[in-house]
Amino acid sequence: MIIALIIIAVIFLFGIFFYNSLIGRKNQVINAFSAIDVMLKKRFDLIPNLVETVKQYTKYEQSTLTKITELRTKATSPSVSDAEKAQIDAQLSSSVKGLMVNIENYPDLKANQNFINLQTTWTESEEQIAAARRTYNSAVTDYNNAIMMFPGNMFAGMLNFHPTPVLATAEEERKNISAKELFNN
Amino acid sequence: MDVANHAALQNTLAALEIDRQKIVSTQKKGYIFIVLAIILTIAGFYFGIGVFAILAGLIPAVYGGSLLYKIADALTTYMQSFKVDVIGSVLKSVNESLQIQPALGISSEEFEQTQLFTQEPDRYRSEDLINGKADKTSFYFAEVHAEYKTEVQTKNGTRTEWHDIFRGIIFVADFNKNFKAATVVRPKDLFGQMGAWFSKNVFSFGNNTLVELENSVFNQTFTTHGTDQVEARYILTPAMMERILELNRNSKNTISLSFINNRMNIAFPLDRNYFEAPVFKTLLNPELLNQDVAAIKFMYEIVKELDLNTRIWGKD
Repeated sequence: MIIALIIIAVIFLFGIFFYNSLIGRKNQVINAFSAIDVMLKKRFDLIPNLVETVKQYTKYEQSTLTKITELRTKATSPSVSDAEKAQIDAQLSSSVKGLMVNIENYPDLKANQNFINLQTTWTESEEQIAAARRTYNSAVTDYNNAIMMFPGNMFAGMLNFHPTPVLATAEEERKNISAKELFNN
Repeated sequence: MDVANHAALQNTLAALEIDRQKIVSTQKKGYIFIVLAIILTIAGFYFGIGVFAILAGLIPAVYGGSLLYKIADALTTYMQSFKVDVIGSVLKSVNESLQIQPALGISSEEFEQTQLFTQEPDRYRSEDLINGKADKTSFYFAEVHAEYKTEVQTKNGTRTEWHDIFRGIIFVADFNKNFKAATVVRPKDLFGQMGAWFSKNVFSFGNNTLVELENSVFNQTFTTHGTDQVEARYILTPAMMERILELNRNSKNTISLSFINNRMNIAFPLDRNYFEAPVFKTLLNPELLNQDVAAIKFMYEIVKELDLNTRIWGKD
C-alpha cells in the first residue's frame, strides 16, 4: 500500500516538473520572439531619420527612399502579422543595403556625421536582430526537442503542445556574395 | 624578431651578462664560506673544543652571509633591468605602443570581476603587466597565479595544502561592441554540464543562464553562460565563435573567456613563468628569448585574430 502511494506520488511529482518545464520552454519561445520584435522596432525607428538625412544630399534616389518609407509605414501599422513583418523587414533590409551601396557616389553624404552614426546604428541593429533570431531558434529547438522526444511525445499532444517552426535564414543572407553580381549593379 | 641581429639588444644582454656572472660568483663564494663555517663548527665539536668551534665557525659564517646579503640587492636590480631593458626592447620591436611594468599586475579584485573562475582565491599574485594598443584596440595582459587552500587533518594537527585555481596569463582587451550583460565562456567540464542539465531539465525553476549556441564544435569545447541570451549571441556571432575556436587551437591548454563591462577577458593557462632573467644560465644563448618573444607576439596578434579592430557597431 505504502509503496503504491510512493509510486503515485513520484509519478505525480514527475508530472508537475515535466508540465512546468514545458510551460517554461514555451514562455521562452514567446519571450525570444518578443525580443526580435523589439529589435525590429528599433530598426524601423531609424528609417525616418535615415530618409531625411539622405534626402538632403541626393537627387536620384527618390524612388528608393519612397519605397523605404512605404515599407516602414506598412511594417509599423498595427494590422500587420508577425510573418508579414518579418517579410517586410527582409525587403527593407535589402532596399537599405542597395541604398548604402549607391551612397558611395555621394562623398558629402558619406562624410556627414549624422549619416555615419545612422550607418553604424543600422549595422548594429542588423547584428542584434540576427542575435535575437538565433536566440529564438535556440528556444524553439529546445521546446521542440522537449515535446518530440520520449517521454514528452507521449503527453505533449494531449496537453496541446505543438512543434513550432524555426525561422529560416532569409534567402539573401544565405547567398554567398558573388563579385560578378556586385559589378553588374 | 631576430634577436641575434638586434645590435642594441645584444649590447644590453652583454652588459647584463657581466652583472649576472658577478652575481653568480659572489653567490658561490658566499655559499662556500657558509659550508666552511659548518665544517669548522662540526670539526671543533668533534675534537672537543666547543667554544673555539663556535668562534671559528662564526667568522666565515658572518662573511659568507654578508656576501649573500649584499648580492641580493644586485640580483633584484639584475632581474628588474632584464624585464625593463631586454623584455622592454623586445616589446618595442613587436609594436611601439607596448610597454612592461614588472611590479604591476592585474589586481585580485579585477581577477574576480572577470568571472573567469568561480573559486575565490586565498592566495593571489600577479606581475609583469604589459599594455599596448593594436590599431584601435587597447589591451593589457599580466601573469597571474591564483590559488585556494584546503585544510587536511593529520596526526600532528592540520596541514594546509595549496591548489591552483589558475596559473598563466590573463589578457584584457577593449571589445568592439557595446553590451550590458555578462557572458562567460569556460572549458567544458562534465560536472558543470551535469549541473546545468539538472537545473534546466529536472528543476525547471531557478535562473537558467546556460546559452546553447549553434556551433557544435564550440559547444563541445566550451560551456557558455550569460545573463542575457540575446546579448550573448550578439557577442558570440558565428564568425566570432570560429575565431575563438582557432585561438583555442593555437593555445596549449583550453582557454576561458568572459565579456563584462564592454571588455573581453581571456585566461591562458600556462605552466611556465615568462619574462624572467636566467641566473645560472648564460644570457648570450641565442635561443634565450624565443619563448618570451613567441608569447608577446601571440598576445599582440589576438586583437587581429579576433577582428577587434572592426569598429562598425557604434563603438570607437
